[in-house]
Amino acid sequence: MDPRAWRRFKKNKGALFGAVLVIFVTLLGALGPLVAPHDPNEQSRDVLLRDDGTPLGPTWDRAEGEPAEGHLLGGDTVGRDELSRLLHGGRVSMQVAYFATAIAVFLGLFVGVSSGYFGGAYDFAVMRLVDVVLSIPFLLIAITIQRVVDTPALWALFVLLGFLSWTTLARVTRSKTLQVRELEYVQAARALGMSEARVLLRHVLPNVLGPAIVIGTTLVAQMIIVESAMSYLGLGVQPPNASWGSMLREGQEMMGSANRLMVFPAVLIVMTVFGFNLMGEGLRDAFDPKD
Amino acid sequence: MRSIPRTSPRRNTRLAIVGIASLVSITCVALTITGCPKRPDGPRYQEAGNSTPRSGGTFVFHHESNVRTLEPHIAYDELSGMAVRLVFDGLLDYDHDAQMIPSIAVAMPTVSNEGKTFQFRLRDDVRFHPMPGLPEGRPIVAEDVNWSMHRLLSKDVGSPGYPFFKSIVGAEAYHRGEAANVTGIRVIDTHTIAFDLMEADQTFLNAMAMTFAYPVPKENYEHWGDEVKYHPVGTGPFVFEEWERGVQISFTRNRRYRDSNRANPDRMIFQENLSRGVAALRFQNGGLDSIHRQNTADFLLFKQSEKWAPYRLEYPRVSTFGIGMNCEIAPFDNVHIRRAVAHAIDRAGWSRARSGRLAAATQILPPQLAGYDENLEHAQRYDLELAREEMRLAGHPDGLDEEIVTWVTEGDVGRIYGELFQQDMEKIGLNIRVRQVSFATYLAETGKPRQVQAFFTGWNMDFPDPSNFIDILFHSRSIHPENSENRAFYRNPEVDRLLDEGRAEVDRERRLSLYRQANNIIAHDAPWAFTYYPMTMEVWQPYVKNYRPHPIWSEDYRDVWLDLPRRRADARFLGTRFPNAVPAWAPFGGVRSLAGRSARGAARGTAR
Repeated sequence: MDPRAWRRFKKNKGALFGAVLVIFVTLLGALGPLVAPHDPNEQSRDVLLRDDGTPLGPTWDRAEGEPAEGHLLGGDTVGRDELSRLLHGGRVSMQVAYFATAIAVFLGLFVGVSSGYFGGAYDFAVMRLVDVVLSIPFLLIAITIQRVVDTPALWALFVLLGFLSWTTLARVTRSKTLQVRELEYVQAARALGMSEARVLLRHVLPNVLGPAIVIGTTLVAQMIIVESAMSYLGLGVQPPNASWGSMLREGQEMMGSANRLMVFPAVLIVMTVFGFNLMGEGLRDAFDPKD
Repeated sequence: MRSIPRTSPRRNTRLAIVGIASLVSITCVALTITGCPKRPDGPRYQEAGNSTPRSGGTFVFHHESNVRTLEPHIAYDELSGMAVRLVFDGLLDYDHDAQMIPSIAVAMPTVSNEGKTFQFRLRDDVRFHPMPGLPEGRPIVAEDVNWSMHRLLSKDVGSPGYPFFKSIVGAEAYHRGEAANVTGIRVIDTHTIAFDLMEADQTFLNAMAMTFAYPVPKENYEHWGDEVKYHPVGTGPFVFEEWERGVQISFTRNRRYRDSNRANPDRMIFQENLSRGVAALRFQNGGLDSIHRQNTADFLLFKQSEKWAPYRLEYPRVSTFGIGMNCEIAPFDNVHIRRAVAHAIDRAGWSRARSGRLAAATQILPPQLAGYDENLEHAQRYDLELAREEMRLAGHPDGLDEEIVTWVTEGDVGRIYGELFQQDMEKIGLNIRVRQVSFATYLAETGKPRQVQAFFTGWNMDFPDPSNFIDILFHSRSIHPENSENRAFYRNPEVDRLLDEGRAEVDRERRLSLYRQANNIIAHDAPWAFTYYPMTMEVWQPYVKNYRPHPIWSEDYRDVWLDLPRRRADARFLGTRFPNAVPAWAPFGGVRSLAGRSARGAARGTAR
């Protein structure tokens, strides 16, 4: 990889801000459950629900006679600690996004590099497969499969998302490989009798890694959105577990009397996606400064 | 993602600044919203002030689900009923005191032959609406009732109402195809018809007042064939106009209705598939004239508003909800585990989480119904100690390791109840997995033996008699290989015997005592853990007159008239589709597509 890339990246304020957001939400996902003050699924119906059934507000918005301390962000619709749910929900969203992206990047790189490098009938066949997968309406197929599977477990969700989103990456890395393959040093390496595998790993892969990282970063953002959308539709995490998307949906029930239940997860989702997109933009400019 | 637009590093910095600014502003806006929810308080349009009823205007109402059929022989859910009762009339009806009254019949039928023969005389001024080939409609005669009843009882139609009429002599033979006619239905003259029953049946008149028994004109069925469910023709106060499937149904006032003094809106619009939140917003905006289900936030808003106070009514619905447990498969083949579940449900906590809209249920019969016993011996109540004791008796003091799959229907409300149930069961060591399925899947699978371990379920009253709850839900006769209404697959010969006796018993007190005994046994055997009797709130606009929730029919708008203020009358567009806004090209496209099969008992299982 190009050592100048990091210098260029550092100069880009927007990208750095994005990176800070990304680190923040990643830490939230990794450490959130450890610092969560309560069990996110425990319903304290007597404490966290007021007499009229509305959830207890955050500490700065409590009436007299209500406990002033504890449960920083109040309760949710059935009396669970909102803060703990946000912290646990973050992990689910992050997990899905990162694992799905990892699968997609691995698949995309493998398919793209190999088909670009070896070409021929294999290349043709694989690229037609990419066309097919690209033509599938993403959310529709995700929903269908999630419906057919009896137990929609979390891992099923990210495997599914991963297997449906490697195609763009495969196309981009393929074209990059086609380009690199013809360069003199690759030709030289082959002429010297290096094995195909070594040429691929040593000379081709490092050159396509840049675009792969850029696409991977934006993929994470996409995955967060898709996971939220699916959980919002009730197809993501299963009750009583939380993810930011499902919390957004749950908050809808209280829209008008406790808007914070929708606002908190929404702000976190926006923050995450925004961070990843900014960082992705910055990375692209850093790796590929042609214009 | 297919192409990545390029930006220069400098533009990127600018982008970042704009981005940061927008993120900050989003957060600010978000926090502002969190702080102060503001919505219009009180009705947008008032009444004009007329005291004498008058016809005119358009009345718009809604339901959150979609109507499957408008055919009275098939329709068996509350929302189809809302539409069917506008277009059709029955021989009998109920008034606002839940007393049975004649409708197409001149008077209540004469009973003879030891309660086994009922003779109806029809009014001679009742006409069917216009239909293909009969632009003026035509008067209804006894032969129409005869034809309609035969259609209802035939196997080909597959009416879910058939079991209610099995007691008519010859009905079963006709249903099996062994007889050409039902011998127990006799047309005596053009306006008189008699029914002979095999034995006295105290629920026969109730059955005759159900929508299944509404007379329909033969000509309309011959013209439309299977399509007739989209082209209803009846004798009711409103004439069907048009159905844009999944969107709305419109009706016009029947100007030739037998009661010419009647005041009604000129038009009724029934909007389908309107979610609770959207409906409430439209209602506040004046685009809907009545709402009957709200999400929690809207419920509180209407409940706490002084300005809406005269135009709302909170009342208990005659329904019972519970968790059905399949008595044929593990772990619920063990009565102790079923009892443990029944006693572990924190009904007060549930009600709190639903803003007090649930009254704790102790038995299958709701309090408004005869046979309900306040001091029932085996009433189901929240008692964690007792629940744990039952778990010990079951041989599982520490609970069970295997997951128990509990089915709920789709949507937020289903999920919330699922989560409440999970939490309560954890306390007695039962590990619940909530499975959300579509309503059609739910109905199909829970109706088959040995399929579903536990499920959220409920029953709305069809007619005010305990048999409507107990017989249908817990008699072993309601068990079938498919479409069982006894979804718990509960069998108890003693209960069956009590119910069979009760059905025929003429003496009211003795009859009720039989149902009380059955009620008690069922509460003790706990095929369902009874959870709640729902409270409901209906809100209507100030200019909607003569509307009161009906004790039998849900959302019955037949007697409404509108006292429209000028402003509202002129409003052409209120964020909703008014009749004038229906595009001219719309009419039939939506109607022909999608022949939705009516799901049996649809909308009954939906949690509130």
